[in-house]
Amino acid sequence: MTLPDGATPLLLGSVAAFAAGLWLLLPSVQRAGWLERWSSRLGVALGAAALAGLALAGRRLGGLGEEAVFQIVAAVALVGGTATVVTRSPVYAAIWFALALTGVAGLLLVLGAQFLGVATIVVYAGAILVMFLFVLMLAQPTGLAPYDRVSNEPLLSAVAGGVLLALLTVSIGRLSAEPPACCQVPSRADAVAAAAAPARPADPAALDADAVARLGAELFGRHLVAVEAAGLLLLVALVGAIAVVSRGEAAESAERGAA
Amino acid sequence: MRSLLLVLVPLLPLLAGLVTVFAGRRLGPRVHLPAVVGIGAAAIAALLLLFTAGGASGTGHGTAAPVEHTVELWRWATIDGALTPADGSAPRPLSLGVTLRLDPLTATLLVVITSIGLLVAVYSIGYMHDDPDQPRFFALVSMFVFSMAMLVASSSFLLVYVFWEAVGACSYLLIGFWYRRPEAARAAKKAFLVNRVGDFGLAIAVFLLWLTYGTLDFHDTRLADGTLVPGILGAARLADPTAIVGGAIGTAICLLLLLAACGKSAQVPLHVWLPDAMEGPTPASALIHAATMVTAGVYLVTRCAPLFVAAPGALAVVALVGATTALVAGLIGTVQTDLKRVLAYSTISQLGYMFAALGTGTLGGFTAGIFHLVTHACFKALLFLGAGSVMHAMGGVIDMRRFGGLRTVMPVTAATFLVGALALAGVFPFAGFFSKDEILAALHSRGWPDAHASGHHDESPAAATPPAVRVATWDRRAAPPLIPVASGSAASHRAVAVSASGGAAADGPLDWLAGPRLYRTLFWMSLFTAGLTAFYTFRAVFMTFTGPLRLPPEAHGHGAHGHSPHGHDDHGPSHGGHGGHGATGHEPAGGHGAAASHESPPVMTRPLVILAVASALAGVVLFIGHGLARFLAATPSLAAANVAATAVPPVFHWDLAIQGTLAAAIGIALAAIGHYGRRSDGPSVERFLGPLQTLFARRFYFDEIEHAAVVRPLEWLAAVAATVDRVVIDGLVRSVAHVPVALGGVVRRFQGGVLQRYSVAGVVGVLGMLVALAWNLWL
Amino acid sequence: MLAAAFPSLIHGALVVGAVLFVLGLVGILTRRNLIVMFLSAELMLQGISVSLVAWSRYHGDFGGHALVVFVLTVAACEAAVALVFVLQAFARTGRLDSAAWQSLRDTEVPRRIDRELPATDTVAPVWPRLTPSGVEPARDDSAEPSREHV
Repeated sequence: MTLPDGATPLLLGSVAAFAAGLWLLLPSVQRAGWLERWSSRLGVALGAAALAGLALAGRRLGGLGEEAVFQIVAAVALVGGTATVVTRSPVYAAIWFALALTGVAGLLLVLGAQFLGVATIVVYAGAILVMFLFVLMLAQPTGLAPYDRVSNEPLLSAVAGGVLLALLTVSIGRLSAEPPACCQVPSRADAVAAAAAPARPADPAALDADAVARLGAELFGRHLVAVEAAGLLLLVALVGAIAVVSRGEAAESAERGAA
Repeated sequence: MRSLLLVLVPLLPLLAGLVTVFAGRRLGPRVHLPAVVGIGAAAIAALLLLFTAGGASGTGHGTAAPVEHTVELWRWATIDGALTPADGSAPRPLSLGVTLRLDPLTATLLVVITSIGLLVAVYSIGYMHDDPDQPRFFALVSMFVFSMAMLVASSSFLLVYVFWEAVGACSYLLIGFWYRRPEAARAAKKAFLVNRVGDFGLAIAVFLLWLTYGTLDFHDTRLADGTLVPGILGAARLADPTAIVGGAIGTAICLLLLLAACGKSAQVPLHVWLPDAMEGPTPASALIHAATMVTAGVYLVTRCAPLFVAAPGALAVVALVGATTALVAGLIGTVQTDLKRVLAYSTISQLGYMFAALGTGTLGGFTAGIFHLVTHACFKALLFLGAGSVMHAMGGVIDMRRFGGLRTVMPVTAATFLVGALALAGVFPFAGFFSKDEILAALHSRGWPDAHASGHHDESPAAATPPAVRVATWDRRAAPPLIPVASGSAASHRAVAVSASGGAAADGPLDWLAGPRLYRTLFWMSLFTAGLTAFYTFRAVFMTFTGPLRLPPEAHGHGAHGHSPHGHDDHGPSHGGHGGHGATGHEPAGGHGAAASHESPPVMTRPLVILAVASALAGVVLFIGHGLARFLAATPSLAAANVAATAVPPVFHWDLAIQGTLAAAIGIALAAIGHYGRRSDGPSVERFLGPLQTLFARRFYFDEIEHAAVVRPLEWLAAVAATVDRVVIDGLVRSVAHVPVALGGVVRRFQGGVLQRYSVAGVVGVLGMLVALAWNLWL
Repeated sequence: MLAAAFPSLIHGALVVGAVLFVLGLVGILTRRNLIVMFLSAELMLQGISVSLVAWSRYHGDFGGHALVVFVLTVAACEAAVALVFVLQAFARTGRLDSAAWQSLRDTEVPRRIDRELPATDTVAPVWPRLTPSGVEPARDDSAEPSREHV
């Protein structure tokens, strides 16, 4: 399946605008005067254009209800993510990241993963992000650190990101709407169900019903060992973090004693 | 029985050497036992062999049936179809057997090697008794005897080559025995390198022989399929003189063999290593560099006698080289002051004599060469061991100007040395007289062939030609039919053609040399050399043993040790007095020179006495009835048709004997005058010789000439090669090395240690792969 | 014309996931603050999560959902351990700069030093300082921090 006419230039243009805007927005020192002055505004404009282009490329004719919600949360996630990356201040970056998380959570909800959406908000925004902020406060620099005002290879990285994004979007665009038969690998539970009940088509909407309960059944049925292993991993990470911190403190106190 | 004895002769010294190598340190003061026992047993075996090797004695001179006995120990290698003959016959296999042979020549040389080796080993017990490296010495002596025995006993040119190298290696190791002394190390290196030149010749000669004859064996061999391969010196070939290749190829082979012989036997111009080889221990000098190893060249030429006879030009070169060497070395010997060097030059001179005899290319010449080899081995070993005894007593001093009158303190040494000197000088009835007379007779027979062939005077070539009259025949029993060397019936044979025509019918490139004129010149040269020999020998005798007693301070210095002649076990304390050796001593072994005013211990003097008896009697014993010549004539090489055809009746030439004796007497008289004359205090000889003295003392500038002609160009060549190597080769290699360095210089700048740059590079790389993948999938 | 570019919802979700992933990637590559780098890593994980859920919808099963649960778990572990290391690094250098460690560079390559800095952001923000646990905070009534931001 190939992309329809006009879609490829639009996609690639959006990607290019995205990369260029990203480059302009990234902290840097090596730009000409006028570019420096206008870089942030130009970058925002380019980013908005890229967003619009992507939305245009992905807009479905008709069925605006779910689609509009999707586009709004997607825009929130993308704007938040972009701001996370380009903001000078790490604290602001963390807060922008929280915004991006809400957008992602919305996306997950739209996609029918209610549990995951809520878990993302709770685990990420509630726990991990707060931990980041704590660390930021502990490791507080005086003022805006110089390394926050410059970035590493912004142009090359932006171009690389653009190329990667172009590859991904084009390959996604060539994806068929329905999975080919070859790719429908039935799970063991499905196979059992298929043996018992009449064949059920892969209906995305069917996932929405009892989604949390079925996810739970999936996790604690098919992936039980993996879940236990993940729990063990959490414990190990906890112990490891404590061990590293205590050893580091011991070393520090030893250094102080020596001094 | 014969085979067992033949195997035992080399095997026992080999075992002795191995035992000494592996158990030498454990044997302690009895470290000499394996060598003495092994070589002694080998000597007994060789003597027994001597009696079994004799040919049928009744067949008469010159026509003895060849006696040959071969023992193939194992087959070393066989390569099928190794050689495709040019004449289109079937390809021949290269078959290398380790085969020992027994014939009169081998038996004679085995006796000489093992008996001299035994006496030297016994002598070394005393001479070396407090050297810390005794095990090495005795091991090397044993290995040398083994190698030399194998050299003369092996029945293939390849094995001869192998053991040719083996004796060279032993010689190298023994010259450099005291390797901590730079002179010894340098002398060893020089000997080795000079011998390389000769060995090169031997190697090429072996290749040529293989290509020419298709085999390397001396004897006839039978292949697995039953075909007979005639050996180079096998009975089948020797019976037919035309089967031996002459002409250019034959001459080339013979000249290359001569080159090899020149190296090993120290003939001009490769003789320069031998005087320097006296840096080794004196017993080693006596054994290797005087009595046995240096005669390997003589053996080789004798063994290849049929080949040489087929190439008369090469024979003439042999004679020329020999006589020249004899004369030159004798002249140099007249002005040497180092006792061992006098003997070294006399060795070279006597070897030259042997080569001159071989160069006559007659049966008489070959047997005379071997005869002289045997007698020379006796008296030269005696002289060297005597010199060692003197040096032993003098605390390492060997310069004849620094001592004198030793006959009173060392009576045995003096008496035996005198016997050796008389033998060397060729005074009747000592050994040298007879062998030298044989050589002169052989030369004379080629210079004045008519006189020997027909038995009447021929004074036409030169007015001063001495009468060559057969006054008496020592062997009256056998009056064999004289083979007419100029007879027309044999004229088709090359050998006879050479003997008869004096080179007119030559077909080799150098055959024009081989004429009576050459041999006449060589005869006179040899006669002069005989007088010269007597002169320098007795000069040394007079300077060393007569006159008032003079002793060098080193001898006194060592006298303080209270040395007991029998106390050979006290290794330790006697080493304390070695301090002055670096500056003065020739021989570090002189630490027990306490016998400054004593004779050497019996273990050293007994071999001297034995050798003196041998030197005195060997000539007579071996000459009576031409015993040795008759014995040797049964050697296949010498019984070959073309060699046997050159036989002249065994006669004793009174005129030649008188001439030789006269020359010796004049030499002795001159030496006596020089020493006892009014100017005995000064260097009378030197004054008499005038500017020639410098020439002799500088050894005819051989070293300098060779340095300029060989060493210097080689150094230049080496310098050029080194420059090419440094600039071109190394430059290439370095430029190859510079490429990665330059590339690394480029890449290195990316190695900045900044992690994020690395990750950018990684991402870019992965993207490159992804793009390539997409390109493949979509386009 | 354009409708066919992303014919269904999951196509849009996949594109958004891809964009989030690329944003996180660019952030990791460019930003030098260790914390921001980790935020970017989390952003990449978010992009992956969105994509996984979309693929799950595409195939009509819960495999993608289950994987996202594990992604969350691993993200939590990673954050815990990595932040400990960030703190250790900060304790050693006093900075959160990823370019503070350049010891692995070649001996002939000079250390990278930021010579020129943008003139903007001259006003240094002041952040609240947390007192380390177990230590009584020093009393400083006179210097009550007044902040312009946050």
